[in-house]
Amino acid sequence: MKRQKRFEVLAARPVNQDGFVVEWPEVGLIAMGSPSDPVPSIKIEQGRVVELDGIPRAKMDFIDQFIADYAIDVKKAEKAMAMDNLAIARMLVDVNVPREEIIQVAGGLTPAKIVAVLNTMNVVEMMMALQKMRARKTPSNQCHITNVNDNPVLIAADAAEAAMRGFDEMETTVAVVRYAPFNALSMLVGGQVGRGGVLIQCALEEATELQLGMRGITAYAETISVYGTENVFVDGDDTPWSKGFLASAYASRGLKMRFTSGTGSEVQMGYAEGKSMLYLEVRCIMVTKGAGVQGLQNGSVSCIGVPAAVPSGIRAVLAENLCTTMMDLEVASSNDQTFTHSDIRRTARTLMQMLPGTDFICSGYGGIPNYDNMFAGSNWDVDDYDDWNIIQRDLQVDGGLKPVSEEAVIAVRNKAARALQAVYRELGFPAITDEEVEAATYAHGSKDMPPRNVVEDLKAAQEMMSRGVTGLDVVKALAKNGFEDLANNVLGLLKQRVSGDYLHTAAILDKEFNVISAVNNRNDYRGPGTGYRISPERWEEIKNISQAVKPSDFDI
Amino acid sequence: MQISEDVIREIVTQVLQGMEVPQPAKTTALAGRAMRLVEKGEVRPGSKADEVIIALAPAFGKYQNKTIVNLPHSDVLREIIAGVEEEGLRARVIRVLRTSDVAFAAHDATRLSGSGIAVGIQSRGTTVIHQKDLPPLSNLELFPQSPLLDLEAYRAIGRNAAKYAKGESPTPVPTRNDQMARPKYQAKAAVLHIKETEHVVPGAKPVEIDVQF
Amino acid sequence: MVEQKLVEDIVREVIKSMYQESAAAPAAAPAPAPGLSPERDYPLAAKRPELVKTPSGKPLTAITLEKVLNSEIGPDDVRITPQTLRMQAEIAEGVGRTQFAQNLRRAAELTAIPDNRILEIYNALRPYRSTKQELLDIAGEMETKYNARINASFVREAAEVYERRNRLKAE
Repeated sequence: MKRQKRFEVLAARPVNQDGFVVEWPEVGLIAMGSPSDPVPSIKIEQGRVVELDGIPRAKMDFIDQFIADYAIDVKKAEKAMAMDNLAIARMLVDVNVPREEIIQVAGGLTPAKIVAVLNTMNVVEMMMALQKMRARKTPSNQCHITNVNDNPVLIAADAAEAAMRGFDEMETTVAVVRYAPFNALSMLVGGQVGRGGVLIQCALEEATELQLGMRGITAYAETISVYGTENVFVDGDDTPWSKGFLASAYASRGLKMRFTSGTGSEVQMGYAEGKSMLYLEVRCIMVTKGAGVQGLQNGSVSCIGVPAAVPSGIRAVLAENLCTTMMDLEVASSNDQTFTHSDIRRTARTLMQMLPGTDFICSGYGGIPNYDNMFAGSNWDVDDYDDWNIIQRDLQVDGGLKPVSEEAVIAVRNKAARALQAVYRELGFPAITDEEVEAATYAHGSKDMPPRNVVEDLKAAQEMMSRGVTGLDVVKALAKNGFEDLANNVLGLLKQRVSGDYLHTAAILDKEFNVISAVNNRNDYRGPGTGYRISPERWEEIKNISQAVKPSDFDI
Repeated sequence: MQISEDVIREIVTQVLQGMEVPQPAKTTALAGRAMRLVEKGEVRPGSKADEVIIALAPAFGKYQNKTIVNLPHSDVLREIIAGVEEEGLRARVIRVLRTSDVAFAAHDATRLSGSGIAVGIQSRGTTVIHQKDLPPLSNLELFPQSPLLDLEAYRAIGRNAAKYAKGESPTPVPTRNDQMARPKYQAKAAVLHIKETEHVVPGAKPVEIDVQF
Repeated sequence: MVEQKLVEDIVREVIKSMYQESAAAPAAAPAPAPGLSPERDYPLAAKRPELVKTPSGKPLTAITLEKVLNSEIGPDDVRITPQTLRMQAEIAEGVGRTQFAQNLRRAAELTAIPDNRILEIYNALRPYRSTKQELLDIAGEMETKYNARINASFVREAAEVYERRNRLKAE
């Protein structure tokens, strides 16, 4: 066929490098409304759920049973289940219905009923609802800090810059698992240079992640995955009970934690049982609620390529974030993984959460170039910082970041690298050279860093664990080398686990280490003039970008 | 030399992508060398410390014959085996049937491997190097981005697995990262995995495989 | 009917929030909250520091850089106590977070169990790791050795479910 020239141009556009598939409901390759999704139902006898969405108790899988026994408020269920889907959806959108009232109703709903409600809503309605239902009044943001070589000096510098730019939480993971203790250590030191009170975590296999937390090297955990079918849950090497125990184990050490789930993971892992991605995700959200975890990272997360490839997939992703807030959980709303070659498409996807605001709009935003992102790339990275800042300024929306000066960034990057250099020296780890400090200060990414001896580093990282190095050793090492302010910040982070205030829903710390959570900063949105409003001080921060020309810049 | 070859390949790929509907980045499907996988019954635990087990997922080389970027399974398996042999060790090939999860498949195999080291591989190409005493979902080295693995990488994976078996601490196979692999391949990866999972036999014991090239 | 209830609830909610904003120490929480109140006492570290102690009985203010450097404060001091977790559970109940509060109460029991044993129990609860008897033994240990009753019944329940769903270790 002779090509039509416009079609030739369109075919070359970035969006046409993305993968798309038609719906295939039999294997669950469908975002919402699979023909196999169950019909909502509940039967309660003697205060116990004996039938859930058409499944009698004897036939429940372990997820059904956990939800039935832990996630559904039997006192409210029959009344809530009798409500019309549209009536519940309208309550969600209605600014006159307070958040608390919806939480009461949602507590009595089954997974299939929640899906039926969400199926009636368009994305603008969901955004309205999300603005009201988010747990913490003040929105926030989280970032990823990783690099392809697990270079520890670079991680420290990147963490410092990201903290200064406004992220309240930051997450690292590894290219090579055995580097994990070093990555976490770099985050702990670097993050506190950018601003005191930033919370840090290291995404790893569950038991290892807990161990780092217990040692006081990390401050919270997030990669505690739950899944929507029993087979996939088991392939994830857990059950709702093992995960529930893990949740309590974290709290028992005074550590904040949230679960992670997302649409598409069950299809991705081959066992979706023909159910829609959203239905399976709602089950995950309810397992999280039932386990008594304060929050959830969801929004498809690393499986975003799956819902994004089918119709209404990005709407389903918004719906799952909304459902999380309806369960009165903190939501860290993904926007953290590449899913498209198209800048237009990735922006459209993020506005769904950025405009209403969530507890963490991205979980996370790449605080590194995407080639260094060991979560396989984020929807946003360092090269997008100014775009993000200017979208905030254009729309007067708080996306959690602020413009910063080049001088200030250089200063904190350098200090973080030097602080880590001192800690390595003090703890007897392979030396960090001045050349590395200099390179990390000015680097864009790991391509700008001199190589390290990986084998030596891995040995030392393992030794760090076997020797039992704790957060307090880091405090001492910093203080002994003239970094008293950092030592105090790291200690401030460790102190949080004594009071446990930051275990609560959607907790973050301000720079004075005050806890801001959905207990003392509850979302009270009720329409115009209520809820979170950008303060005059915050607006100054957002609007003053260095690119803007001032009247005094004109010499006429 | 190598870099410029990569660059050229990348450019050619980019140009091809611009001209056609998205197609797999690397090679087009070659038939690959002929390979026969003869199933020889239940796997016996190995006693020799000089072996590395290569654990194939249920459909590898049987119901599927190429990776997500169309590398023939025969070539992939040959490279991993060659990598192990290059280090003077023996590769034993098995098929895991009870799971299609690469980490669990490999972890099952570590318990049968005389050295305690195993490589797990799925039909789409996802690969892991595993060790006996680690938690199942941990690993020594994981290569989750299957579209980025080429034959050279598979050989290096075999080589490193053998080095771990010898008690060495090799430099990990350089991690490759392409943030655009997900947009392009994730849905396809899901479909390939669904097709792999169709061949899982719950509770089935692993099967010893005689590989004939 | 629903709408009438809705209006009622809104009115109640508005009155409640007005009252709470004007009153200095709102004692009118709807649920009978015998102990701590979210409005008055949270965050504990800022509003009720006298209630928060380290496991060795030191006050929060004792955790200073100076004391860390001269080793008066060690890793065991930067841990949460079961009492503090139960106080936080009360706060959680005060904002209607029943399941979260229950998690904190389970956690309070787990403070008695050493780190390594916690990791072992977690691994034992993973699928196909334990026989039914092994799980029941863990429950027994939790109950008798650590007085962790809520957790013990949680583990027993897991043993039943794993048996029904074939997720136990093959014997």
